[in-house]
Amino acid sequence: MTEYTVSVQAYAKAVLHCAKHPWATVHGLLLAEKKEGKIRFVDAVPLAHNWTNLTAMFDVALQQAQQYAKTKGLSVCGYYVAYEDTKATQLSASGALLAKTLVEADESTVAFVVDAKKLTPGSSAAAFVPHVYAEPQWKEQSSAFGESGKGSGTKGASFVLENNRVVAVTRKLVDERAEVWVHDFDEHLDDVSLDWLQNQALSERIRTT
Amino acid sequence: MSSSLKLLGEIRQSSERRPFEVLKLAEPLLNKGSITQAGDEVWLVYEQVFLAAVDEGQIDVAKAVLEILHNRFGEESQRVKRLYGLVSEATGHPEDAKKLYDDMLEKDATNVLANKRLITLLKSQGQYVQAIQELVSYLDTHGNDFEAWLELTHLYLDQHLYSQAAFCIEEVILQQPANHYFHLCYAEISYTMGNLDVALKEYLRVVELSTDNLRGFYGVKLTADRILDITSSRGSGKSKGPSHLKVENAPQKAMLERLSQLATERLLAIYSGSSDAMKKTLEEWLKL
Repeated sequence: MTEYTVSVQAYAKAVLHCAKHPWATVHGLLLAEKKEGKIRFVDAVPLAHNWTNLTAMFDVALQQAQQYAKTKGLSVCGYYVAYEDTKATQLSASGALLAKTLVEADESTVAFVVDAKKLTPGSSAAAFVPHVYAEPQWKEQSSAFGESGKGSGTKGASFVLENNRVVAVTRKLVDERAEVWVHDFDEHLDDVSLDWLQNQALSERIRTT
Repeated sequence: MSSSLKLLGEIRQSSERRPFEVLKLAEPLLNKGSITQAGDEVWLVYEQVFLAAVDEGQIDVAKAVLEILHNRFGEESQRVKRLYGLVSEATGHPEDAKKLYDDMLEKDATNVLANKRLITLLKSQGQYVQAIQELVSYLDTHGNDFEAWLELTHLYLDQHLYSQAAFCIEEVILQQPANHYFHLCYAEISYTMGNLDVALKEYLRVVELSTDNLRGFYGVKLTADRILDITSSRGSGKSKGPSHLKVENAPQKAMLERLSQLATERLLAIYSGSSDAMKKTLEEWLKL
């Protein structure tokens, strides 16, 4: 049973990326530490909010993210996506293909679809819906993240947020419009001074909330 | 003219969607009445504020502004009328919105605003096939509306119908051949479809039309190197890369190498104004 933990930094950055472009499909990568069979997503690298079904800039960004991850002793083994269609909780065809590129490089890759319904102010649930790869498909793990405590699924994966403050901290950051601190690769392509890999100012903001 | 009004004008010009900022800029103008400094443009500002309010879910503000517009332009203004549809859409009454748009189209089948709203409504309801059908039908009579062709490109892309999307963006390019953005879109679609030769050609067009376009040069580097990779290993008998990748119409090896070289130079030049971390990232990537 592989245990996946999502830290507040990874979760908040991904959700803030969604908050910055609420009417668009957004996607990005998650970087993880691997220790003793446990996988801890420690950061999110936002990629795009435009042309998310097109692969050219994704290929460039993925290569750069993988190189960056290596320098930090991390692995790119997470993909997150929030669809323009707020009712969607399943990986789309292109999402599945992009995530497959990742799983071919790292078999512990998990894809997370953001469930918009769980981002409403009253919700305290984790908005990530994990999808685990069971060739050739991605299987949705709809009751993950501590609702039952144990994740079901073909590969026996369990998912948990790092502590019970993650959702509340994220909510606070969204309310404070901290999304202005998120810069994805799309933005970087318009302004090379923006550090889309680290988003350090945002990391600091999350750390001190 | 106040700086807020100027900024609002710039946002209108660029058609960027920045509702939070628009409302922040407009609020004091509305409260103090200084919005009238905009002169004749004040109605454009009101419409802009309405759209931002609807985007931010500030329905009371939207309705208040809508009343001002209604009082000025009356019942018969189609431009104001469709804003009522937007309120219905934003408050979770799509069926009321649909009825309004259908009524508007019954009175005038060529009403562009109602047509476009209806298509967007269908899309937001997840009725993608119908949205596409309506838009295709609209384009039958409005074939010169390149923005509509662009919207259709996006609808097809959302449905992963890449060759249909390619056809549409080609139409856009026919009408707007000097706009690098559309060539960029075409390049990206071609790359995604595996048509690397077309992608390279289009990325080159992008950098021709737009100096030091970063996406353009990343695209040139990416495609030139991939084509070199594929053709060299195909030439040596080892098959490399999926067979659907098309490279037949690509330039010769020597030219590809020069293009790759040029892209490298320009990428380094573009990043020279960036941070050390980002420069390092590029340099590492170029070594791949």
